[in-house]
Amino acid sequence: MAKVSPLALGSALAVALVVSITVAVTIGPADIRFDEVWRSIASHLGVGVSPLSELRDGIVWQLRLPRVLTAAAVGAGLALSGAVMQAITRNPLADPYLLGLSSGAALGAVSVLLLGAAVLLPLAAFIGALLALTLTLLLAGSLGAITPSRTVLAGIAVSALASAITSFVIFWSVTGDSYREVLSWLLGSLSGARWPAVAITMAAIIIIGIPVMMTGRLLDSFAFGDLQAASLGVNVSATRWGLLGASALVTGAMVSVSGSIGFVGLILPHAVRLLVGPGHRALLPLSALLGAVFLVWADTLARTLFDPREIPVGIVTAMIGAPVFAFLLTRRKSST
Amino acid sequence: MSALTYPVLARVAVVAGVSVVALGGCAATPTALDAPTTTAQRVELSNCGFDVSFDAAPERVITIKSSTTEMLLALGLGDRIIGTAFQDGPVPEQWASDAAGLTLIAERVPSEEAVLDLEPDLVFAGWESTFSADAAGERADLTSFGINTFVSPSACQSAEQPAQLSFDNVFSDIETVAAIFQVDATELVNAQRAQLEAIEANGNSRTALWYSSGSDTPYVGAGIGAPQLLLDTVGLTNIAADVNATWAPYNWEAVVDADPDFIVLVDADWNSAENKIGVLEANPATANLSAVKAGRYLVVPFAASEAGVRSVDAAESLSAQIAEFDG
Repeated sequence: MAKVSPLALGSALAVALVVSITVAVTIGPADIRFDEVWRSIASHLGVGVSPLSELRDGIVWQLRLPRVLTAAAVGAGLALSGAVMQAITRNPLADPYLLGLSSGAALGAVSVLLLGAAVLLPLAAFIGALLALTLTLLLAGSLGAITPSRTVLAGIAVSALASAITSFVIFWSVTGDSYREVLSWLLGSLSGARWPAVAITMAAIIIIGIPVMMTGRLLDSFAFGDLQAASLGVNVSATRWGLLGASALVTGAMVSVSGSIGFVGLILPHAVRLLVGPGHRALLPLSALLGAVFLVWADTLARTLFDPREIPVGIVTAMIGAPVFAFLLTRRKSST
Repeated sequence: MSALTYPVLARVAVVAGVSVVALGGCAATPTALDAPTTTAQRVELSNCGFDVSFDAAPERVITIKSSTTEMLLALGLGDRIIGTAFQDGPVPEQWASDAAGLTLIAERVPSEEAVLDLEPDLVFAGWESTFSADAAGERADLTSFGINTFVSPSACQSAEQPAQLSFDNVFSDIETVAAIFQVDATELVNAQRAQLEAIEANGNSRTALWYSSGSDTPYVGAGIGAPQLLLDTVGLTNIAADVNATWAPYNWEAVVDADPDFIVLVDADWNSAENKIGVLEANPATANLSAVKAGRYLVVPFAASEAGVRSVDAAESLSAQIAEFDG
């Protein structure tokens, strides 16, 4: 039923990712030529001398490049986590933010932004995400055997609580126009992405994301239920919690630098599935690649569409993601 | 005085949209300062597209935002204020003694019930957003309770927003409020006009960023509001002048690309000038800006950064700060 060979799609996406990053760093409000951008980047890698002034060099090396690389990593991480969550919970509506991850992260971040707690923003978001996940799992465990549906329900409860506290903190302490900062955070934005963000997100992809991409065969065995998986010799419980924890770590790392960017984790795995079929061995790496390409361009639009104004990238992902999703659905309907 | 470089004609039509009409054959010029009047003068006007009418000068006023409190203090109407809310900072020294007896009813926007509880006859707000169901109440709702509402006309956004804020708008705001309270603003406006004339446009077309708040995404003074007016008045060129908004979310790349000569920092309790310097220095790209390296910062108190009776003071202070840098 696959319409496209996974290998062909993978190669195409890999090339598209390289081209996208190469081109995206040359686009921005400041008018810097393509060759100047890349000679500047080369100079930082120890090749040649930057043709740009110190300030314009900073635009390329301190603002654009880390932002584009972070966008690629965040897009890959969210799409990968989404694919894994959908497989483990056998729920096509699952996304990386299920289980209270994003609302926990938002609570951590908003607390820092508005209450001025002496913790770094990404760290606070990360701690918030992990606390929410722990609370979700504890709650699900207290209901009896931890099943996917109990976990999702517990996640909804934790999400609602964390969101309520977040709203309370915003309502209570927002002054002047500081709500703007909170808003762009809640909608998802990469405007604060610098080299530390690249380090955090790339590390998450390399250390956790790539091993997770190798688990496609395991996830395939989950497709027909826990019993089926167990009969194939899979340790169901260990696999499930291992992958869930890994997805949470990846998502927490991404949310900690970008806020909650919606739709990437929900929709891109579906798009890949429609193109190459449901097999997870291809689905996981291809979702990651497509997510990276998608978010690089979504963020490029977010920072240039209304140049020199910026909009949160979460608005762009939703505006593009929702219609594309609808289009894919109608295509699937006509072909099945 | 470079405020005159504006397209003045474009704005007159907007100013004219706020018409104060005197009915009943009374003289249009009201009575002197500080003298509560008994003249049966009806004032009708459209305020941000909402029709308001005053049969008599308001006696019990709640002011929300510093700009409105200070407007009434400047007109000698401090005794009409029964409560203030959402103040942005200390009242300047010249009005401090009048402000001493004022009651702060809420740190931020009060709820509708808190407003009704005080039985005001006018709620005077510095932001249009103050009048909504989850804030101080919808305007129509308050009107039905016999409470008038008024927004500083220069702060209108939904309708009647000045296409390009000018000092004519600022002074017209003062005159409109004076007309509502049936007092004479001539003295105050004349004094402000004289003070404005004396301000030297010593910016010499050097460039400036008006940095209001934000860290990842800077929120800056754009091309049509009070920041643009103040920068124009002192002869500085706003790097965000092309953005057709009063304030707008901007982009650090565009700031770095423009490398402004000065950075104007808005000093608020919730986001101090010092904090903004920290943000500029912590970001490797903006740390290299010439203004950051040389510390060429101009500071404006938040309450003076919105159009009102402190606008002229703010421009004067900017000019003086530039003069200090020019030594």
